[in-house]
Amino acid sequence: MWKSIAVAGLIAGLNASAYATATVGEPAPEFAGTDTQGKQHRLSDYRGKTVVLEWTNHDCPYVRKHYGSGNMQAQQKAATDAGVVWLSIISSAQGKQGHVRPAQADALTESRNASPSSVILDTSGDIGRVYGAKTTPHMYIVNGDGTLVYKGGIDSIPTSNPDDIANAKQYVKVALDELAAGQPIADAVTRPYGCSVKY
Amino acid sequence: MHLTRRLLRILLLWLLGTSLAHADGTAMETPHARVQLLTASESIAPGETLWAGLRFDLIPHWHVYWRNPGDSGEPPRIRWQLPAGWQAGDVHWPVPTRIDVGPLTNYGYEHEVVFLVPITAPGDLPSDSDVQITADATWLVCKEECIPEEGRFTATLRSTASAAAQQPAQWVAQAQARWPTPFSGAADYSLLPDGMMRLRLRDAAASIEAVNDLWFASNEWGPVSSSAKQTWTRDDGDLVLTLPPGDGPLQPEQSLAGLLVVEGDTADEVRGFTLNATALAPTPVGTTTDSASVSLWLAIGFAVLGGLILNLMPCVLPVLSIKVLGLIGHANGDARRHGAAFVVGVLVTFAALAGLLLLLRAGGTALGWGFQLQEPAVVLGLMYLMLALALNLSGVFSIGNRVMGAGQQLADRQGIAGSVATGVLAVVVATPCTAPFMGTALGFAMTRPVGEAMAVFLALGAGFALPMLLLSTWPSLLKRVPKPGPWMETLRRLLAFPMFGAALWLLWVLSQQVDASAFAMALSGALLLAFALWWIGLARERHGQRALAMATLVGAIIIGGLAAREAPPDPSNLTADAWSSVRVAELQREGKAVFVNFTAAWCITCKVNEQVALSSPRIESALRKADVVYLKGDWTKRDAAIGAELQRYGRSGVPLYVLHPADGTNPIVLPQLLTENLVLEALEQL
Repeated sequence: MWKSIAVAGLIAGLNASAYATATVGEPAPEFAGTDTQGKQHRLSDYRGKTVVLEWTNHDCPYVRKHYGSGNMQAQQKAATDAGVVWLSIISSAQGKQGHVRPAQADALTESRNASPSSVILDTSGDIGRVYGAKTTPHMYIVNGDGTLVYKGGIDSIPTSNPDDIANAKQYVKVALDELAAGQPIADAVTRPYGCSVKY
Repeated sequence: MHLTRRLLRILLLWLLGTSLAHADGTAMETPHARVQLLTASESIAPGETLWAGLRFDLIPHWHVYWRNPGDSGEPPRIRWQLPAGWQAGDVHWPVPTRIDVGPLTNYGYEHEVVFLVPITAPGDLPSDSDVQITADATWLVCKEECIPEEGRFTATLRSTASAAAQQPAQWVAQAQARWPTPFSGAADYSLLPDGMMRLRLRDAAASIEAVNDLWFASNEWGPVSSSAKQTWTRDDGDLVLTLPPGDGPLQPEQSLAGLLVVEGDTADEVRGFTLNATALAPTPVGTTTDSASVSLWLAIGFAVLGGLILNLMPCVLPVLSIKVLGLIGHANGDARRHGAAFVVGVLVTFAALAGLLLLLRAGGTALGWGFQLQEPAVVLGLMYLMLALALNLSGVFSIGNRVMGAGQQLADRQGIAGSVATGVLAVVVATPCTAPFMGTALGFAMTRPVGEAMAVFLALGAGFALPMLLLSTWPSLLKRVPKPGPWMETLRRLLAFPMFGAALWLLWVLSQQVDASAFAMALSGALLLAFALWWIGLARERHGQRALAMATLVGAIIIGGLAAREAPPDPSNLTADAWSSVRVAELQREGKAVFVNFTAAWCITCKVNEQVALSSPRIESALRKADVVYLKGDWTKRDAAIGAELQRYGRSGVPLYVLHPADGTNPIVLPQLLTENLVLEALEQL
């Protein structure tokens, strides 16, 4: 209870002070969010595990590029199979594009054969604002210590054309591999691209 | 069934966005825009360049993007299909507007926009034929939601033998009117301690008068945040913008390329300026005053005042006192000429030092005043100079046999040249004192263009030379100085002490820069120097011995030189955190191997090992490659934890080198005498 209040206060404080406070190399901002099953998730629940945060909006053409081609699902599956926690986060506000009710979100997961660990509905946009999430997709990786080690795009070619996926460097996949191998992450901050998050 | 329907719907949505975009031709309609390929003329001559434009007429509230789309979005892309020999240039981007989407900001265009591209025909274009140029374009059109669209546009050009004198098409002129123009003044930027960037547009007042608002956008994603608030002020003729950094900051020395947009009171009064701001060295640490807010005249004033005060500094005062004593001798003679010569010596030396500093700054080295003191050889040289002057003042030796000693000699024997030399010497001995207290003026000078910086340095020199100038210009003032007499000798010996003090201070500085053995050598050199100077004083009349004394002096200088060469190559080569057993365990849990160096400042073997083996770049890269963390346990002072750890390895002292593998298995202990290869081999065992 007190922890929730502290987290809420922290988030509100960060929110008021500045936009985009998530800095690579520093502790990833703590958040509390509810998934489609009504379950609460805190980042600190996953200490010791690698966590991927994926901002998403199923109506965005750039998200469709990566789900339509199966790229996102494949990355989710490979990551979760390796013990990584993959949280898809929907920050679309009520009435905005991409906003979904829990059942709709689950249906999307099922229909697209996606494999996130959970889908968090961030209707207030609090988590997105604390992290400075700007686009869909916008990707973050938090290591087992709770340090933010990657933020940026899903890959290196900022278009909505699925044909470009084959030629792009898959930043998240590469970063997860580097993290697993204990190597430093070469591209730790990249340009996120896509539609704006619909706060 | 359920799944199929959903897939169909997604497919349908996809098609809706893109399906209407495939008709060939010069124009097409999408649900959000009418898009058209235009050419400035219907005909083209061999080698001629004409404008082709992709024109967008957008439905209300929808937009397309600038080259850097901002927080989200994507700029239009055009791929040209041209006959062999034809060339298409880059898109010329009109000045965009800021489009806010919730907390995010995009750069783009609403209503109507034309992207112009220069198309060049080959020189051997056969005349009187039709040539087709085709543009495959993709673009993203957004309101809040975004739709990718694409189209293929074809235009036909008639080739002619020679270019007809044509009026440029009206639409080309209109499109060009929305281009940014190059900023006429100079622009530079610097990083502020709080991480913000300060962009300064020099002499901007003339080109930018009516301003309602202005903002800056970088050409590429990264250096500048698109959505965070920018502020701007005027400073004399300059405009100063404070820019919040983006997620992809510039590397040091990289210039900042972008667009300055100036908004007047109405939408028509929007002008854009392209600029490429050069990187300034970061504001030197210790200059707390905001140097940008100091105007040039104020800085010059501070500099004159600072130079004046500099005369009273312990390093300088003795030298100048000698000079004044010298002038007393000239009171009725040509004091004025000597004074002027002294001023020349001071100003030339200041200009030379400032010139060197500015040259290095232009070369990209981040320097502050006092940079010369970062070089141990310079510190050592200055220390020996101070020591020699102090010994001279205290009467250990004098180059002449006269009561006035060296200062008098300098002034007398070499005449005017001697006075110039005294000026040079005064500045050289003053440099250590300049650093601590001239913050504001120097900080200002470091961030300004060469001319202004030089003016500040010369003002500093002028202030420094001012007392001497006054005394020599009005020699009657000298008459107020007490008459020559034995008191002068007493004063001279007294003044030796601030000089010794300055030498001691420089030794302390040196002790921060070199290791113990080099420091010991520097001290030996000082002893030998003192001895040689004493001998020289003694042997003045006896020539044979004088040669021996000179040889001793040379010996002192060589030892000094060796001491300076002994300086560690670069202590930052291999940075180490402090050792603790907790830290080692922590790092191992993170899956990292750890190399621990137990050392002490007084341990010669440790220092030798560090010099010979540990500071080599090969070791550094091997450590990095093997992902080994380097820790140092410093036993210079008593430390129970380190003592216990040494005992664990059966040692009673340093050096001790331990390599802990990441998996927590038995640590590898290295020998007490290291070589580079020994360390590399040990690292390979991991």
